[in-house]
Amino acid sequence: MPDQAFDGVFEKAGATAGTTPGSGAVPAVRVEGLWKRFGQQIAVNGIDLVLPAGKFIGLVGPNGAGKTTTLSMITGLLRPDQGRILVAGHDVWADPESVAQVKARIGILPEGLRLFERLSGRELLAYSGRLRGLPGAEVDKRASQLLDVLDLTGSQNKLVVDYSTGMRKKIGLAAALLHNPEVLFLDEPFEGVDPVSAQTIRGVLERYTQSGATVVFSSHVMELVESLCDWVAVMAAGRIRAQGTLAEVRGDRPSLQAAFLELVGASGRETAGESLDWLGGGAGSAGTSGASGSAGASGASGGTQR
Amino acid sequence: MSTNATALSPSASPSSTPPSPVPSLTSVFVRLKLSLLKNGLRQSGGRTAAYIASIVLGVLFAAAMVLSSVLLRGSADADTIAVLLTGVVALSWAVMPLFVPTGDETLDPSRLVMLPLRPRPLVRALLVASLVGIGPVLTLCLAFGAAVSVAHGAAGTVVAVLAVPLVTVVCVALSRAVVAANIRLLTSRKGRDLALLSGLVIAVGMQLVNFGAQRLGQAGGLGPLEPAAAVVGWLPPAAAIGAVDAASTGDYAVAAARLLLTAATLVALVYWWQRSLVKLMVEPDGSTIGASSDKGVREKSGGTGLLGRMLPVGRTGATMERTLRYIWRDPKTKAAWVTSLAMGLIVPLFNAFQGTGSIYWACFASGMLGVQMYNQFGQDTSAFWMVAQTISTTADAYAELRARALALLSVTLPFTALVTVATAAVLGDWSALPEALGLSFGLLGALLGSGAVASAVFPYSIPQDSGYKNVVPGQGGLAWMSILGGMIGSMLLCAPLIGATVYLHLSDQQSLLWIVLPAGVVYGALLVQAGLKLAAPRTARRLPEILTAVSKG
Repeated sequence: MPDQAFDGVFEKAGATAGTTPGSGAVPAVRVEGLWKRFGQQIAVNGIDLVLPAGKFIGLVGPNGAGKTTTLSMITGLLRPDQGRILVAGHDVWADPESVAQVKARIGILPEGLRLFERLSGRELLAYSGRLRGLPGAEVDKRASQLLDVLDLTGSQNKLVVDYSTGMRKKIGLAAALLHNPEVLFLDEPFEGVDPVSAQTIRGVLERYTQSGATVVFSSHVMELVESLCDWVAVMAAGRIRAQGTLAEVRGDRPSLQAAFLELVGASGRETAGESLDWLGGGAGSAGTSGASGSAGASGASGGTQR
Repeated sequence: MSTNATALSPSASPSSTPPSPVPSLTSVFVRLKLSLLKNGLRQSGGRTAAYIASIVLGVLFAAAMVLSSVLLRGSADADTIAVLLTGVVALSWAVMPLFVPTGDETLDPSRLVMLPLRPRPLVRALLVASLVGIGPVLTLCLAFGAAVSVAHGAAGTVVAVLAVPLVTVVCVALSRAVVAANIRLLTSRKGRDLALLSGLVIAVGMQLVNFGAQRLGQAGGLGPLEPAAAVVGWLPPAAAIGAVDAASTGDYAVAAARLLLTAATLVALVYWWQRSLVKLMVEPDGSTIGASSDKGVREKSGGTGLLGRMLPVGRTGATMERTLRYIWRDPKTKAAWVTSLAMGLIVPLFNAFQGTGSIYWACFASGMLGVQMYNQFGQDTSAFWMVAQTISTTADAYAELRARALALLSVTLPFTALVTVATAAVLGDWSALPEALGLSFGLLGALLGSGAVASAVFPYSIPQDSGYKNVVPGQGGLAWMSILGGMIGSMLLCAPLIGATVYLHLSDQQSLLWIVLPAGVVYGALLVQAGLKLAAPRTARRLPEILTAVSKG
């Protein structure tokens, strides 16, 4: 059957959910001892991760932390060097039967990979749904609704190559949702997206998680993660620095941003105020270092507060 | 216009102090151009080598041209060749920038838009800077050669001294003016698509030039070109060379008219260029205009059109539909296909027309087309992840590959038959048609089968940004091995079929030669089937590796 029944998964008694508070079900994703090395560089350094089902999960970390590599390995797009990954209880890298179970249950919006851009938005959805074995009429019905909800109906016959960044993310999201997956993996879904499209994407994702599905998305915009997610994993330099509910990860710090900077070891670094003391202050002469230095510092710290 | 007219020149800002020695705009641009050229040499190993090699080749080419024009001096055809050569050079100056994205940053007015520059000094500076470079030097050599070959006497020499620099400057100004006028097209997606198709124009054009040259060789002499030269001799900048010729033969009025015509053209071109530049600097970027203006153009029903209704349902139909759409819509795929189709048609038919052909040349068509099955996943680029996501078993991979083979067959099968029949018709060799068809189909099957296996085992990236690079650095060996090995392998696979045909010919059993047709069809189908069966499990096992291999471009 093309339609996945969400409930079936949640009803299973989960025996492995030791670290998932508030949920007795099989975790959406379970990662054990995952390694990936590119030449000399270790991209993912033996991580263990348990992401509970039915949550809005944020995977956060600075650029180069290994978020995309991790998500690629979890979704079957990149072969790990070592480690085991279970998605909804099925091994991603085991026998074809298990892989088929995983692939039918997940939807992906990767970052940095192309779509079939010489198709129009509607054609892309029609193609993607039929590849997944959904009946044609059903694909077309769902595609129309998704295009409508994501505000793409006006551009449905335009080639994806002519889409803006926000429209690309939205059509990618539509393709990822078309087969009604249990777990949705989104790599930087809000990167380069304008506020209007971001709000649309957000609305769709919130509705989707309310139905009991899981969303895992990577981001480095802490405000967004803080307002959307109820579960967070922090990654830096190929390792998981913290994982748990938003409250657990934040601890007694004022914001997720503060917690994040502390976890990745960047909170001690102050702005380079003194070395740029000529900057700002109007006249452009070199003698006003005091005023311009403080202006630079306050400007930079403004970013941390929201 | 207004922003440039009101802009201050850089030296005008400190009003009280005497003007500091600000270098003139022209010298700044020339120095910028020289440092860009120099930086070209400082690039990483391979590019430096390529750069030096291109300079050496250019110098050799220029030397050869000058030398041959000196040798040409006094020959009866010298004027025809000199004028036509100049015309071709000017044409390539006008056309090349539209197809070849140049690395010349001084060309791009959008980089200058924030600077306070007035149009007139800007155009003068840009024109002078444009004259620095390998291309203009080569053109100067060519113009010099052309003038040498036709200049006689004092009058001829005087006109030549004027004509040679004039030709060079007109060529450069022409090129710049065309680019400035078309920059909106060049920066839009449609324009980039057009540029990617340039390989096709060159490939087919070379074939036509080749056959044209053969015709001229058969005609013995350049007689047929003389009327063309008479016309081109009045078209600037070739008119300047025409003026040298006219002055040498004492036709001073014609010489003066041609020279003046060329000079007037230069003025007009510079004026046109300046107008386009000014317009470009105050109007919005072309890339966004191009994208938004074709919004209403594609208003046909998406999803399942006529094509979709004709194809089978499910994965097979969806994949076939996408593959066929990509042949038409993706410039890179389109260029490869149109080149294959054109060459597959031109080579057997032209050979047949010239009487040197044999019907077996028709196999060339299936050879050219069968190669399209190679590197199937590379043609997907990194969008292959969408396919990989829906393949988990060998059966899925088999369905995917079979659908792609079917899509290819829906074009190649009728086309191969058409070319073979047409070749037979031209040659009047109808008796050999069945065996030629059988061999063509057998070869097509072998190429599709081996192409499926090669797609799974040797995938490589196809860079999307350039019309010429079909392989990213580091995967060249892989690509060559895959295609060359596949070609040789396919020939070997066809050996039984070829052997049977040869045997039937040699043993004088011509009446049985029709058997090659059904045998070729069956054998080809078997080879495709075997190739798909071999490729499917390898594809299913290697999905992440294939994705990594095709995502480099």
